[in-house]
Amino acid sequence: MIIFNNIIAIFRKELQGYFTSPFAYVVMGIFWLLSGFFFVAILMSPEGIINQIAQRDQLGVPTPPVDVAYEFLRFFLGVMGSLAMFVLPILSMGLYADERKWGTLELLATSPITNWAVAVGKLLGVMTFFSAMIVPLLGLEAIALGAADPSILVTVPLLGHLGLFLMAGAILSLGMFISSLTDKTIVAAILTFALIFSLSLMELVAKSIGGNLGAALEHLSLMKHYTNLVQGVFDTSSLVLFMSYIILGIFLTAQSIESLRFSRR
Amino acid sequence: MISTEPNQSIEVDGLSKIYGTKSAIKDISFTVQTGEILGFLGPNGAGKTTTMRILAGYLPASTGTARIAGYDVHSESMEVRQRIGYLPENPPLYPEMTVEGFLHFVAKIKGVSPGQRSSRVDEVLERCNLTEYRQLQIRKLSKGMKQRVGIAQAIVHDPPVIILDEPTIGLDPKQIIDVRNLIKSLAGQHTIILSTHILPEVSMTCDRVTIINRGKVVTTNTPETLMAELAGGTGYELEIDGNPIEIQKMLQILPGICLVEVASNYGLPGDRSLLRLVCSPGAEPGRDIAAVVVGANRGLYEMRRTRASLEDVFLDLTTKELDVTENKE
Repeated sequence: MIIFNNIIAIFRKELQGYFTSPFAYVVMGIFWLLSGFFFVAILMSPEGIINQIAQRDQLGVPTPPVDVAYEFLRFFLGVMGSLAMFVLPILSMGLYADERKWGTLELLATSPITNWAVAVGKLLGVMTFFSAMIVPLLGLEAIALGAADPSILVTVPLLGHLGLFLMAGAILSLGMFISSLTDKTIVAAILTFALIFSLSLMELVAKSIGGNLGAALEHLSLMKHYTNLVQGVFDTSSLVLFMSYIILGIFLTAQSIESLRFSRR
Repeated sequence: MISTEPNQSIEVDGLSKIYGTKSAIKDISFTVQTGEILGFLGPNGAGKTTTMRILAGYLPASTGTARIAGYDVHSESMEVRQRIGYLPENPPLYPEMTVEGFLHFVAKIKGVSPGQRSSRVDEVLERCNLTEYRQLQIRKLSKGMKQRVGIAQAIVHDPPVIILDEPTIGLDPKQIIDVRNLIKSLAGQHTIILSTHILPEVSMTCDRVTIINRGKVVTTNTPETLMAELAGGTGYELEIDGNPIEIQKMLQILPGICLVEVASNYGLPGDRSLLRLVCSPGAEPGRDIAAVVVGANRGLYEMRRTRASLEDVFLDLTTKELDVTENKE
């Protein structure tokens, strides 16, 4: 019970921090600006999906019928995934680096609160903030795609957003671990970018290696499972993978803080 | 909140912290009794902060043990953390929080029950003279105010043991007095260890003093004993008129007086003399001295006590240590 209360205390502190910090609003604003831009561009611009399909129809090219709404969603969420890859390290970089900088890690480490509780509370806080960033996109999609014919199943965007949320959780969790290793936010951000980059490469590497190792590596790839969910394929192995990454990040974070105390020499 | 336990002592035994080949502290041992205030005195770099951090559980020691309220700081860290309030060298503050919000947060994570949080926060704001700043964001506070918030967070949960690392740093003289009075008011019900390099702090607030230099304990004792030991006792200086020799003879035979010498009267009017007296340790001959001079119908223009200040003790002990180490090398 105490642990639960501690997690909530940390969670609330983190959330309050986001909503009283101008930096968070800037990040949110830029994200909405860019995602809004992509939304409109992908949907309605001359190179956008609607016009592309329309052109194909006009030219009389024999193509299988296209579910425009579905294709749009797939493409849009794909772009959102890439955009998230840039935004997430910026959200996670300060999680522990700031605490070190302000000296408040010394407060947390000398209070009757476990490292686990702190890590979980922080991750919940940043994931909640990220949700606040992507929930409005659901609204946009509801408006734009509501008029689609054939109408799109509501589970499709929901599943896609769940995938985005879970993938973000995995990246934020690992980013949180990286943040716990340094007191400089910029170093944490750069290392997290590097990590994401290597994880993205993993899928390419996996494909070129092939065979069992390749298949195993591919299975670990965040992007692969994300695209699955975005396509509406719900596979429990995706869920398990994301949760594993999230738990791994929390575990590593707790360990790195704990090692401060246990490194007797 | 934790109810007062019978054992609120701090016991440190053979504590060392080694970084590579260099030792920050070596073989530190001392005890702070329940309800006592111990001053941990040393120059910058002596190892005070390292010791405080080990006691608070933020740093692991390389060897030795430390126990707070009977719990080992390393292996029973959670129990220790529930019983301590800690002010690190730099007060741990969240810049974007308000003073009140921050203290509420600290009260929460220190385990203060929801019903008591508001009253504890109010009380502590009052005690640290922060009530009018309660709604201010911490990043807008001056250094002195931030320091007081730091002290507030160390006591908001009414811990039995309080660890303060340089509590009066950055404060102006009035605030320093307020903080010292606050610390003194906490004694008895709380066990306090405070580290400082400001000497008057120690003689004014602490029951006992541990002097640390270059990572090692030099001595532990009451401030008075240390000062008496060094000076060999206290003394007086008298400014009188008339023939000093007569008075010298009369004072010499008083009980508690070891030595009376007639000092040079440079700077005094021609008919005045300066007498220097050394008293035996523990003696209080002031009343007799005055009685003798006045009884002999002499003018007593000034009578002041002289004693080795803690500064003298400190310098003596820490430079002696320096000589010894340098000779060894």
